Amino acid sequence: MTRAPDLERLRSLRNTAAIVGVGDTDYAADYRTEGGDAAAKGGGAVDSYTLAARAFKRALDDAGLNKSEIDGLCAGGPIAHERLSETLGINPGWGISGDAPRCLIEAVQAINAGLCTTVALVYGNAQRSMNTQYGGAQASGGESILSYVYYAPWGMTSQGALYAMMFKRHQLVYGTTEEQLAAVSIAFRKHASLNPNAVMQTPISREEYLQARYIVEPLRLYDYCLVNDGGVALIVRRADLAREGKQTPVNITGFGWSELNVDATQLRPRLKQFYYPAHHAVAAQVFGMAGVGPKDIDVYATYDSFSVHLLFGLEGFGFCGEGEVGAFIQDGRIEIGGELPCNTSGGMLSESYMQSWNHQVELVRQLRGGLGSRQVEGAATGQYVHDVAGKCLSLIYTKGA
Amino acid sequence: MAQQRPDRRMDPYAAEFWEFTRAGEFRLQRCTACSKFRWPAAPVCDECLSESYEWALASGAGTVLSWVTFHRRYFSEYPPPHQVVTIELDEGPIFVTTPVDLDNRGLADGMRMELAWQEATDRHGDYQLPVFRPSTTA
Repeated sequence: MTRAPDLERLRSLRNTAAIVGVGDTDYAADYRTEGGDAAAKGGGAVDSYTLAARAFKRALDDAGLNKSEIDGLCAGGPIAHERLSETLGINPGWGISGDAPRCLIEAVQAINAGLCTTVALVYGNAQRSMNTQYGGAQASGGESILSYVYYAPWGMTSQGALYAMMFKRHQLVYGTTEEQLAAVSIAFRKHASLNPNAVMQTPISREEYLQARYIVEPLRLYDYCLVNDGGVALIVRRADLAREGKQTPVNITGFGWSELNVDATQLRPRLKQFYYPAHHAVAAQVFGMAGVGPKDIDVYATYDSFSVHLLFGLEGFGFCGEGEVGAFIQDGRIEIGGELPCNTSGGMLSESYMQSWNHQVELVRQLRGGLGSRQVEGAATGQYVHDVAGKCLSLIYTKGA
Repeated sequence: MAQQRPDRRMDPYAAEFWEFTRAGEFRLQRCTACSKFRWPAAPVCDECLSESYEWALASGAGTVLSWVTFHRRYFSEYPPPHQVVTIELDEGPIFVTTPVDLDNRGLADGMRMELAWQEATDRHGDYQLPVFRPSTTA
């Protein structure tokens, strides 16, 4: 259902909570170990909970907090908050399992409801070690999104193929080209080359992009995200407590949520609307709540299991007109130093496939400042856009005092 | 001869759809309360929530919306390269399927397509897979 956002209620939650601590695991070092997984490092056993715990410890240290001060817990990835809670030795006053933007938005609400004051959001995923499959007979995710599994008899499988189908439609309708799309993977890899913890740090040229093999045409190797092991943690605190902390708090200033699930399996909102109606609804919420617009965004991050996610979101959120994104992303506009730096850590294409949890960490780091050559000069407002098969959520962060 | 295909996702409604294919009938669920066609097969009409439906014979005609070519092998039954096409059926629903009999013709936006059948089998048994070829009628 599309309706005008209730900005009065949304604005009452603006800047009521802030991110005070972040932590992540050694993506690059873990990937380089034998077998490319975190398990080989140190020779010990590792699973998704291990990676989550490592990141959690680092986030606590970063925030200067003791774990006894954590009274809310969110679990991300193939882990459950109940087991995570037991693993970390925390009895929370509130807890859920979910994806990054959902956990962040609901943590703000739980804090405002008085259920908790200091929430740890912890993600762990040993997907490379576990050989998690995102296509084929063992494809994951079919319980919630039927299109991931329904068309197997015709050989249609993988989220990448669905995004390839969507990009092909965008090509047919708007004339967007593969040469234009190359700018996304090249920019994110360039950013990763400035990030010592990125899994893939070697820059790629336009020629290398175009010469790489197709996976599902029209998408090529570099349009696809990595599959690697890792963990991420964020600590979100009530604003008054956040101000007393060790780090400059990063305020959660705006958020929005809208889903297009009707006719999703037959791919109608994907192919006929490029999910724009969800983007429009969320843009009205997140920009309205934060009191800013696209022109105020200093640094932007998007879910990027595939390069093409960036295209649809930029159009849908009004950074450029519908059908104009192919031209918009050229000439360094989406690179650090450009008008709208996107996925400055390298994103899931080149830094780490942490299902957008790493994007939240990167935005926090950019807004805190001091990232050296990777720093977006004067970054004060950052936006995350999440669009996974028509489930669209967004957050706007601002640098606190 | 029936070709081995990756397993169909079965539920009570999908089972009815596939049973009709054994007789070469391409039928879609149509709500008997509000007449809306729906695909994939589903328990209730997503428009009016009625549980009553009929399996209406579909024309098997539609137009091309988009397509992709797999270059990576995901299923042993589908060695690459193989194409998948999305077709907007004249009845309304969008149907994901395999393009056949293209000869040297490429797919094109808005191209008219029509139903064809492939003998298929999987762990649920023998059936016919609805695939689409370029329209042979004007």
